[in-house]
Amino acid sequence: MPPFLIALYGNLLNGAILGAVYGMMTMGLSLIFGVLRIVNVGHGAFIMVGAYTAFFLFTLYGIPPLLAVPFSFIIGMGLGALFFYTVIKRLIDSPELTTLLATFSFGVLLEEVAKLLWGPDYRGFNWEVGSLHLPFVTIPLEKLYAFLASVSMALILYIWFKKGRSGMAIRAIMEDREGASCCGINVDGMYGLSFSIGIALTVASGSLLTLFIPVGIHPYMGGIYTLKAFVIAVLGGLSSPWGAFFGGFIFGLVENGAYSLFGLVPGLEPFSMTYFAAFLILLILLLIRPEGLLGANGG
Amino acid sequence: MRQYIPFLPVVAIYGTLFLTGLLLEGMWQPMALLAFYGALGQVFNIFLGLTGYVDFGYVAFLAIGSYGMAIAASSLYEDLGWWIVPTGFVLAFIMASFLSIAVGAIALRLKGAYFAIATIGVSEGLRYLIEGTGLWGGSMGIIVSRPLREAFGREGANSLSTFWADSILYGIALVAAFITLMILKSRAGYAFLAMREDEEAARVMGIDTTRYKLLAFFISASLGGLIGASAWTLKMNYVFPSDVFDIVYTIEAIIIVLLGGSGTLLGPLVGGLVYGALKYWLAVTFPGLQLLLFAPLILVIIVAFPQGIIGILRERMGSAFRGVIL
Repeated sequence: MPPFLIALYGNLLNGAILGAVYGMMTMGLSLIFGVLRIVNVGHGAFIMVGAYTAFFLFTLYGIPPLLAVPFSFIIGMGLGALFFYTVIKRLIDSPELTTLLATFSFGVLLEEVAKLLWGPDYRGFNWEVGSLHLPFVTIPLEKLYAFLASVSMALILYIWFKKGRSGMAIRAIMEDREGASCCGINVDGMYGLSFSIGIALTVASGSLLTLFIPVGIHPYMGGIYTLKAFVIAVLGGLSSPWGAFFGGFIFGLVENGAYSLFGLVPGLEPFSMTYFAAFLILLILLLIRPEGLLGANGG
Repeated sequence: MRQYIPFLPVVAIYGTLFLTGLLLEGMWQPMALLAFYGALGQVFNIFLGLTGYVDFGYVAFLAIGSYGMAIAASSLYEDLGWWIVPTGFVLAFIMASFLSIAVGAIALRLKGAYFAIATIGVSEGLRYLIEGTGLWGGSMGIIVSRPLREAFGREGANSLSTFWADSILYGIALVAAFITLMILKSRAGYAFLAMREDEEAARVMGIDTTRYKLLAFFISASLGGLIGASAWTLKMNYVFPSDVFDIVYTIEAIIIVLLGGSGTLLGPLVGGLVYGALKYWLAVTFPGLQLLLFAPLILVIIVAFPQGIIGILRERMGSAFRGVIL
């Protein structure tokens, strides 16, 4: 095989692995939008919290990042519940203006608290557990674990959403809020639950993301992930967590594939061009297929 | 003439700011900051306040305007001399208008959150296009201090960035406020009101909602381009994509409009004054901590006063004042 194809193949494989983490990273955003019709523009800040959680658990107590995921999930539930019951609950039927500003402000608050507590420096850590040798490429095992963890989290969420009592209640609310309320479903409580789970998933995905960014943990790391999550969510149809998960895969592949391709063109800066391509896809999709590539709506 | 009375407080407030800056030692820059936020709120309000659509990528228009000025200054200074500044404003206006028509014609079909996400995509996409292809200097940006010095001389370039760039902002703010008043008082004002309340119903009543949305989008964007040209290129003398596409300016514009009262004439002005003064005060009193204090403050304001300062005043005051406070 020519070296370019090997590089592309390796990049795509890495893209698929990272894509699963991206997918999980975006499921929370889609869940919150699907249920509450609120776009969480502070999304990235919650990812940052998860990354710091993994970082401190690893460097202070030697707990590997995979085991940090449950911790992050609990922290996320707490943060989500706090944000929901202090602010979001009062804004559920407000215009976009207020909810966009509120979620952005909460994100800024988290970032600034993180800067105050842990300083503005870039941090990172290495957790190496060996690697898997395939023809032409080598895949670090810890990334494979992150992949498996993301897929299992998505599966658990799927089963809870389809079979669990509260999952069914949330689906009923997505179909018809008044109707669900008449059937005795505690709408506010279910809003709080879906919001908290959405945030918890996001924080947990931040812990897994640390395995892909060796020195990229800092208070303002979230911004670019917010934007990526927007593109992924739109790929999947914005209000469908499963769509988002598959959107993450596609985004991971496109991101890594585009990076290789743009790198071949002289005069182009491949990193920026990849993001440009991502936003172009976002716009085209919003115009021609706002229901997402899979045509999913609401699960 | 009666219909112009609400414009008087606007002129009075901007006039007071201008004179305070001019006459009191060391007050020019703080007052210019307030004028910047007033102007930003005023132009942003023309679209957001009238239509209720949240343009989350609004900063792209300021950015493209600042590029218009920078391109004119850096490539034409040898031919045009001091004419580069008027040319730059024209170019900023044209570029922002084109962008607004292109984006508006496409994105304005989308509603609510979809529109917000599409506009943020336009803004970020444009920024990465510039950085990725090296267009207009790419991520190195354009620096215009030398062309401006050659065209205006050292003294002239100096007063351009420390005095005229700020003064032009007062002018843009006044123009934007005047246009807002004209729209609110005209047939279009009723169309916007009907559209904001219920877009479907307005369309059924025969209101061409797309045309009105595009009109407000265009006015708001092209004036935004002038702000970028003046407040960034002329004042700072450089344009970097990472600075001019910073989403924080969009957020600030939203905060100002929400703080003052969306869709009102005085709202963005009051919001701009309160926001600018608060930001300045926090930055001076708690350097480095202003965002940490600001974010929870915004959350409290959103939860406690969703209708804004002018909205509250309008509720509290009798009907006699309703005509004055728009």
